[in-house]
Amino acid sequence: MRGRVQENSLQEMAVGFVDFGRSCGADEVEISLVEGREFNVNVRLGEIENLVEAASRSLALRVIKDRKTAQASTSDLTAETVRRLIRNAVKRAQLASRDDCSGLPPAAAERMDKPSLNLYDPEIASLDATRKIKLAQETERIALDDTRITNSHGASFISNEDTIVLANSAGFLGSYDQTFCSLSVGLQAGGTNDLVEDEWTSVVRHFRDLETPETVAGKAVERTLRQLHPRKIKTQSVPVIFEPEMTHWLLGFLFACVSGVAVYRKATFLAERLGMAIGGKNITVIDDGLIPGRLGSRPFDSEGVPCRKTIVVENGILRRFLCGSYAGRKLKQPSTGNAEGNGVSPNNFSLSPGAATPEEIIASTKKALLLTRTIGHGLNPVTGDFSRGAYGLWVEGGEIAYPVCEVTVSGNLEPLLHQIEAVGNDLDIRTPVCGPTIKIGELTVAGA
Amino acid sequence: MNPIEDSFSLGSGERKKILALALSRGGEFAEIFSEYRLYNFINMEEDIIKETGESVSLGLGIRVISGEKTGYGYTNDLSFEAIRTTALTAAAIADSGRTAVLPRFRRVRGRRDIYPALWPAHRASLESKIALVRRAYAACRKAGSRIRKVKVLFHDQIQYMSIAHSEGRTAEDERPQIRLVCTAIAEKNGKREFGFSGGGGRVGLEYFERTMTPEAIGREAGEEALRLLEAVDAPAGEMPVVLAPGHAGVLVHEAVGHLLEADFNRKRTSIFWDKLGRRVGSPLLTIYDDPTRPSFRGSYSVDDEGTPPVKTLLIDRGIVRSFLQDRLSARIMGLPLTGHGRRQDFTCIPIPRMSNTYVDRGEDDPEEILRSVGKGIYAERFEGGQVEDTGKFTFSISAGHLIEEGRLTAPIKQATLIGTSIDILQKIERVGCDLQFGLQTGTCSKEGQDVPVTDGCPTIKISRMTVGGRK
Repeated sequence: MRGRVQENSLQEMAVGFVDFGRSCGADEVEISLVEGREFNVNVRLGEIENLVEAASRSLALRVIKDRKTAQASTSDLTAETVRRLIRNAVKRAQLASRDDCSGLPPAAAERMDKPSLNLYDPEIASLDATRKIKLAQETERIALDDTRITNSHGASFISNEDTIVLANSAGFLGSYDQTFCSLSVGLQAGGTNDLVEDEWTSVVRHFRDLETPETVAGKAVERTLRQLHPRKIKTQSVPVIFEPEMTHWLLGFLFACVSGVAVYRKATFLAERLGMAIGGKNITVIDDGLIPGRLGSRPFDSEGVPCRKTIVVENGILRRFLCGSYAGRKLKQPSTGNAEGNGVSPNNFSLSPGAATPEEIIASTKKALLLTRTIGHGLNPVTGDFSRGAYGLWVEGGEIAYPVCEVTVSGNLEPLLHQIEAVGNDLDIRTPVCGPTIKIGELTVAGA
Repeated sequence: MNPIEDSFSLGSGERKKILALALSRGGEFAEIFSEYRLYNFINMEEDIIKETGESVSLGLGIRVISGEKTGYGYTNDLSFEAIRTTALTAAAIADSGRTAVLPRFRRVRGRRDIYPALWPAHRASLESKIALVRRAYAACRKAGSRIRKVKVLFHDQIQYMSIAHSEGRTAEDERPQIRLVCTAIAEKNGKREFGFSGGGGRVGLEYFERTMTPEAIGREAGEEALRLLEAVDAPAGEMPVVLAPGHAGVLVHEAVGHLLEADFNRKRTSIFWDKLGRRVGSPLLTIYDDPTRPSFRGSYSVDDEGTPPVKTLLIDRGIVRSFLQDRLSARIMGLPLTGHGRRQDFTCIPIPRMSNTYVDRGEDDPEEILRSVGKGIYAERFEGGQVEDTGKFTFSISAGHLIEEGRLTAPIKQATLIGTSIDILQKIERVGCDLQFGLQTGTCSKEGQDVPVTDGCPTIKISRMTVGGRK
């Protein structure tokens, strides 16, 4: 097991600062520490462009006195600096307002069996730099072997190892180690007047699960080339099929709308819809922080509440908002283990898959835009409105006809969730927020 | 007192030792970037001062360049031993082994008029800043009875940075930054809308008395939310678009600025790589990037590589005149430095970035520009955009109006606009005489690094552009 000694000394440090905070007069104290190692190599046209290697530490703290909160963070972990920040925070807390919803979560024994969560891969720590560089070079080389690819944004291999420690004055002390690694490549095809680009990234916790250079390069090449020689289509209302990468952003938008923080701020159109049907019966959305080996899994959230599985939307009915303990108190519901700093974050937040294959969904469609990529912002959780730049493939008579570019898709999440006509079986779990292919009855596609 | 020297206790002799180690494997260039940043924030929501915070960021990054390769290491452990290890990590990018001879250090002097902070926020009491937050909050509440929720955030920071590199230059900078933003949610008949406003820059707290009061920020956020309650869906399809002066500068940030960053051009991934000296847009269009505008959020007196920045002419009456350069790209391309090498913090490699980007004033009367449009949209407030090297770009409007028969009519809701850079630059039909800058609150992201920027423009008419509304 990596860094057992280190992890223990970080735990001791965190507990020491909690005690110091109490001795300065704080009613409650929370200390979190992150120690990380980063390796990042970019290669382009066969040569190394950048190679970054570093280790770093950071500390964040929260103190509460008379139900008034102050926070601090630092990358300078000398005892002198941290103590000064704690003393300042205790003093500064007096300047905040009394807030009856403030405070640490009730003490929870760290009950999670960490090894079974499988967040750490010792192989990543032992990979040598040459092998990592070779993987990136190999990926780019395979992609550039295709003569239709005209330029490269480069390929990169990134690996991270982190130790996370959390201690608080309610008696919580927990820590875990985690790893990530990723392999990606970005490509261009076409000439100056018809340039297209795309990329592919494989990101995993365990090196053995990383897609091979052949797979990463192959997907990036395929995604880039399929966009060549696009047409701009007329403005129209039309069914839109979302590829899994696109369902990913839609789910990210839905998360922003079911966040307990957005709910108490009235910054989501779903704030008053708990227990109501917000989508069709084919919509079930689950947040689960305990799926072994997944990117969004963790034993406990940023304030030490054990992670769990929460059914957010069940057959179209909105069942639960995702909360840390602060938003939870505001909404009078328990924390769901989604606290992250001052807000909430998804653990593994996904739309449950249906039965149809993506091929079946396309084949059963007379006319639609198959959405493959979006750019820009244009998401408004307050209203549910969205409007984004889009790329896609035109579907005609159940088949892909030609690529489409320079259009926008726009609509509102509320009718959209009721108009999901098909949910695919191809749940793509590469990212913590994810979903399968879906088909929407109708959206506005603006073009020529 | 120099906080950097206090924190690092690296004298000139030690810096030379570290640079020599960084070059011990044969790199051609080495640099130490040290940073000490103090940061404060105040959050008011639900009618209370919910929390305050304080942050310290301290660390150092060492960069070694060998040919076109960059090695980088960083640390926040500031023992000489850890810095030595960091230097050797960065050094490993090179593999010859020639011994470096380091020249004497000479200090680069940056301009001294960039940060005219009379009342520096990092030295002001927290009480005085809380008072500003409360003023903005109260003004937003007062904007109307339909204002349902208000949130005000105040940030201030001071960044001390110091650079020493193997060509014998040292540079230091001490950069203040403040930002007060207000968001409002208004509600009518169960429908809610969102408004935003803010201000700040590399200024002191006097800004909130002289330039933009907290009351103005709060009121604007509230009024925007109230206006949107009455807004109709934006139209969908191609139509004339008039950009209001100020905020619409985000269009040139996306459609031109990023594509003229030198790294994308030396790699030939940007559609502009072969366009230097060539016409890409309307002769009415002149664009500058100017890091030396006093008080502006995107300004600095030296860049993050120690280069004094210059106001850079990017597009001169439709013709590409220069790229935004950092040290590596300028050397590879054989072009002069422009002082646009920026980094988010000590953990990041500097890359070419924008600072304050704007379209220069033209000659047209803004009223007359509006009158020239039969049916189209007037784009007023923006929430950002994105561009790809292929030239495809978007920007999203958060508020605007319909134009009918040359006049502003109904307010419209948010919509994203999409176009292709050179195509849209050629469709710029009119440029007004009313140059303004957008809010001093913007942040630009590139390759995972966030840096503060601003943009600006006069009233501009684009003859046709795709508007992603719903009607």
